[in-house]
Amino acid sequence: MRTKAYVPYLFLTPALVLFAVFMGYPIIYSFLLSFQTSVGGELTFAGISNYTRLFGDEIFFTALKNTFVIMVTQVPLMLFLGIVLAALLNAVKGLKGVFRVSFFMPAVTSLVAYSIIFSIMLMGDGIINQFLAQVGIGAVPWLSDPIWAKAALILAMTWRWTGYNMVIYLAAMQNISESLYEAASIDGASRIKQFFSITVPQLKPVILFTAILSTIGTLQLFDEPYTLTKGGPSDATLTIGMYLYQTGFRYFDFGYASTLAYVIVVLIAVLSFIQFKVTGDK
Amino acid sequence: MFKVSKLLVLLLGITIAISACGQANEKKGEAGADQKVQLTAWAWNVNVGALNSALELYKKDHPNVDLKVEDIGRLDVYDKLSTGLAAGGAGLPDIVLVEDDRIQGYLDAFPKGFLNLSDKGFDSKADQFPAFKKELASKDGKFYAFPFDAGPTGMFYRRDIFEKAGVNPDTIETWDQFIEAGKTIKQKTGSFALPADKFKDDALFRMMMNEQGVFYFDKDGNIDFNNPKVVKALETIKAMGDAGLVKDVNGWDGTVSATVDGSVATIPFGAWYYGTITDQAKDTSGKWGVFQLPAFEAGGNRAANLGGSSWMIPSSSKNADAAYAFAEYFATTDAVQEIAMDKHGLFPSLQSVYSSKLFTSDVAFFGNQKIWQLFSDEMKNIPTPYYTKDYALGLDEAVKAQADAFNGKNPADALKEAAKRLADRTKRTVNNG
Repeated sequence: MRTKAYVPYLFLTPALVLFAVFMGYPIIYSFLLSFQTSVGGELTFAGISNYTRLFGDEIFFTALKNTFVIMVTQVPLMLFLGIVLAALLNAVKGLKGVFRVSFFMPAVTSLVAYSIIFSIMLMGDGIINQFLAQVGIGAVPWLSDPIWAKAALILAMTWRWTGYNMVIYLAAMQNISESLYEAASIDGASRIKQFFSITVPQLKPVILFTAILSTIGTLQLFDEPYTLTKGGPSDATLTIGMYLYQTGFRYFDFGYASTLAYVIVVLIAVLSFIQFKVTGDK
Repeated sequence: MFKVSKLLVLLLGITIAISACGQANEKKGEAGADQKVQLTAWAWNVNVGALNSALELYKKDHPNVDLKVEDIGRLDVYDKLSTGLAAGGAGLPDIVLVEDDRIQGYLDAFPKGFLNLSDKGFDSKADQFPAFKKELASKDGKFYAFPFDAGPTGMFYRRDIFEKAGVNPDTIETWDQFIEAGKTIKQKTGSFALPADKFKDDALFRMMMNEQGVFYFDKDGNIDFNNPKVVKALETIKAMGDAGLVKDVNGWDGTVSATVDGSVATIPFGAWYYGTITDQAKDTSGKWGVFQLPAFEAGGNRAANLGGSSWMIPSSSKNADAAYAFAEYFATTDAVQEIAMDKHGLFPSLQSVYSSKLFTSDVAFFGNQKIWQLFSDEMKNIPTPYYTKDYALGLDEAVKAQADAFNGKNPADALKEAAKRLADRTKRTVNNG
């Protein structure tokens, strides 16, 4: 029997309806919302005023700057650590499973739970400062100094996401043909030389993939600053994601919050495009 | 052609089925006088207990009314409430607790979001509440919130720590004297003078402003950060920090654990903190006392308010009448308010309760001090703080100014910069000091 042409659509309908309601509608509605502003509780069309407001918004630029500072330090650091760990694990013979699980474990803990634990550990008289005092280093104002607060965020994020990237690299490394390494050893290349000349080039597409994922993740960074520092001290750790949230839910400015959301979308698109151009193959 | 129309019919069918479900649900809610009514409420902390206690009393005359109280964290209530209101009232409860400082912001952002209580007849009950509370619960002369608790402030202090340090709390009348006493206490006992969430909250700063009759905004809604009294408050806080008297705590939990473990000698807070102390530090009974906030100059005003909340009914409530009846009973019944205070430490704003025996008796937990009398005497001297609809923005900038001050900036400069940023964000005028 010939399948009637509409039958595939029929099977797709549930998925399409769900997509339309939970993805399509919010995407379109928030886009419309980004051109509206609230006057006396009623949303009215405001043209591009939300977008022009961005250019005079000091706090937006602070948040943008913070997000980028965190991104350009944390993402390379984390990806580098991830590759190194994966290479080490790939060489390890026994207990591979134990190491893999323990490094990956942070990635499956709840975002909020780990942020709270970190905030307790990093408190003025928390365990980390007590330890530092024991070894003779003074207490570090982890959450109260503008620079250290960013460092604390980077520390927490690296702890959580390195293992995740490591597992991806590990999987990719196991697909690199042994014969390449054999040939290199015969030619007398050292382990380090092999790592940079074989492993890293072979991993290129995977590195691109993790770099884009991490970029997207950092641009949407919210949970860590929300629980660790509330964006403070004095906006030093305010990210665009947090500013979006505050604008919408603290200040009830849903129109402007939608504008911020679309700015993040555009940033992600542009950065991903650049990364493709720089590192990707044609 | 035929195929497409068949698909359309199918989709139409689904749509009708979904909307029919929706209607069926809506009908269920409309209950007659004899039918059972199931109300829901969102609240946090000790307020949950107060609601449940009130329900027990209420059920004696209204056996058909039932109330499901959802205990949700304070900030989570606001997030859920904001989301629900923005979604046109979807998923909201019948009764929700809102802090006084947030009411105006909600009413401005969602003018149709809450039940107009004046239309339901609340005006006749309004005179039972103090003026500042009425102002906070209404907009354009109409009530939108049932006044509940208030937060007359005091310094909750540990008698044992003060005694060990040889400091008599009665001698502390000004903040300067408090700082001196704090130094002695720190030296002799190792306890900090008070806790503060230095970089994330500004509770002490707000109390100090309110005490002096100033706030983020003046009564005309202008930004008042440059007012010398505001500057003085922040300078005093910074001076305490510089002297090593402020314990930096992380949020509410940090404050509570500092209270319990005795690492601070005093906690300046609203009267409602009684409930938390008696609940969390049960084994310190008898070791507590209260004195009023120190003044900025000898003989100055020592009355202030921190916190306090009210009940609101989202207009999406399907049981608005039942919810109104219950909330009004809650807000205006002496017995309920007495229980709320006696059992849960929530200080009522219903004035008729102040003359009750409860208010004039000793409190054993507080070393037999008449603390409720102290708080109720304070009520009449509390200046009205002008929260305005931009309170959340003002708070954000005030916290930043405080963080800057703790990180070394001159308080006056920090406030000046905060005022400028706040003016950019709210389009309000800045008063020059």
